Formats: sequence, C-alpha cells, structure tokens
Amino acid sequence: MGKGKTMAEGSRNEPAMDAKRFAALAAAYGGDLRRWPEAERMAGAIFAPSETGQAILRHAGTLDARLDSYRVDAPDKALHGSILQAAGRHFVQRRRQRFWWLGLGLAGIGLAGAVAGLALVSIVTPEVQPDHYVLDANATAFGDASPDRDAIGEDL
Amino acid sequence: MSADPDEELVRRVGAGDPAAVQTLVARKLPRILALAVRMLGDAAEAEDVAQEAFLRIWRHASRWRRGNARFDSWIHRVTLNLCYDRLRRKREWVTDDLPEMVDPAALPDAHPQEDAVRVERALQGIAPRQREAIILVYYQEMSNIDAAATLEISIDALESLLSRGRRSLQAILARDGADE
Repeated sequence: MGKGKTMAEGSRNEPAMDAKRFAALAAAYGGDLRRWPEAERMAGAIFAPSETGQAILRHAGTLDARLDSYRVDAPDKALHGSILQAAGRHFVQRRRQRFWWLGLGLAGIGLAGAVAGLALVSIVTPEVQPDHYVLDANATAFGDASPDRDAIGEDL
Repeated sequence: MSADPDEELVRRVGAGDPAAVQTLVARKLPRILALAVRMLGDAAEAEDVAQEAFLRIWRHASRWRRGNARFDSWIHRVTLNLCYDRLRRKREWVTDDLPEMVDPAALPDAHPQEDAVRVERALQGIAPRQREAIILVYYQEMSNIDAAATLEISIDALESLLSRGRRSLQAILARDGADE
C-alpha cells in the first residue's frame, strides 16, 4: 500500500508493479481490473498474465462471483411516480412561496415609499411662520413694562 | 478535477425544469435505491430513503455548487447519512425491545439459502464502514477517488476498508458453508 498517498493523487504513478502491490490491489478492488485505480490499471494489466498474477486474480475472482450474485431489482414505477409527484409538489410550493415573497416585497417597497415620501415632505416643506409676532406687552426683557409707579408719583 | 457530468442537469433542476427532473430521477434513482437496499438490507426502508434523498435534491438543487465532490458523490453521501439514521434507530429499537438477536437462518420458514441471500446477509454482517466502501467501489462502480471523497477519507484508508471488508465477507461466507 502506498504511504502518505492523498485523495488528489488517487494512486501511484510508477509504471512497474510487483506481486505485493498487485495482490494488495486485488484484495481491495477485486479481480476485475476495471475497478482498479485508473493510474495502476496499465501496470496491473502487464503483470496480470504472469503465473502469480493469474493466481491472485483467480482468488479475488471467487469472491467477485459471489458478490455479483447479489442483484437489486430496478425501482418500480410506483416509486418512480411518487418521487416525480413529490418533485412537482415541491416546485409548485416553491413558486407560490416566491410569489408570496414577491408580494410581500412589493408591499414593503410601497410602505417604504410612503414613509420616505412623508419624511421628504416634512423636510422639504418650510416651517410655517406666522406673518408677525404678537408680542405680549408684558413679555419684554425687562419684565413688566407697565408704567413705572414711581414715575407716576413724581408727576403728581 | 474533471468536469461533473451532472452539473448542468442539476442546474436545470434547480431552475424547476420538469424535463430535467425526470432525467435526474431516471439517472439517479436506480443508483440511490441500490445503495440504500445494500446498506440497509431492507427494500421498503430503502425506498423511503430514496424518496427522502430526492426531497433533499429538490431542496438543494437551486443552491448546489460543486465544491470538492461531484454531485453523484454528494447524493451518495446524503443517502448514506439517511441509511445511518435508520440503522441507528433500528439498533436502538433492537436494543430496547429485543432481549436477544434472532438468527434468521434458524427460522423454519426461511427461504432456501441462495447465493444472493447469503451475500446480502454477509454484507449486513460486516462493519458499516467496510460495507459502505465495498458498496461504493464494487456495486456503485465509483472510482477510488470519488469513493474516498464520498466517505471523506484518504485513498489509503479506503483501500484498507476494502481489503478488510472483503476478508470479512470471505470469512462469513466460508462460515455460512457457501464457499467452494
């Protein structure tokens, strides 16, 4: 077995193959070279006709033949149909949700527009000022501006 | 990494194209169902898993982006996770309700032990991770790179699981008296 081999490498690159590696590959992937790592198939095919290679493949092939006997029936029409129906329901529901969100979005945009419009009106429109101030005769900086009693007294 | 043969189809499914939905079901259902049947050893449960796996596809198709794995690897991973959920539940149920395991071979009405039945039982008898590896590489005919990506392990770890799994299968089948 290759040490430190990464997923990206996939397999070894060396062209030649020894019996040990050949046996390890057969033990893992079985006797059919089509299941072997792509990069090692060619080297495996070169080694395979040897006596050792044939013995290893025969041994692995015995289990392969047993495994091949276990077949799974193709999916029946009912299952196929129910999966398609579920898909139909899902996509219809998704379209409805999209419309719903679209409606909600439009309503939101409308509401936001109304709020923005109100805000704009309140900013742009100048504050209404009265034409003149009606001053309370008593509201001066000096407080009560009524005729000075003392002055009246003096006049008397 | 090479191009993903399913990428364009999944994109169309994500857009809600009914023809793409049909094509995807025709292309993937046999694989997904076979994977679930062999993982669970129960055809009815496998059908439930297949339906659930497709619901996940419909939900994720519009958002699916190829990362490190192909779509086929992703849906295999999803299916395996769904199988594991069921295996866990089954184990809990067996532990909770049955004091001891029943040997199906001992049942008087058991069918004649055909080779396929023996292999099916042998597959259920090995460690789930070894079973996964063998199913992906042997039955699903995944490349070692895709199988390792699906199982999220290195190639070395995959080869180790495969070797140990095949050895275990051989031992079980030999014990079962089926080896020639």
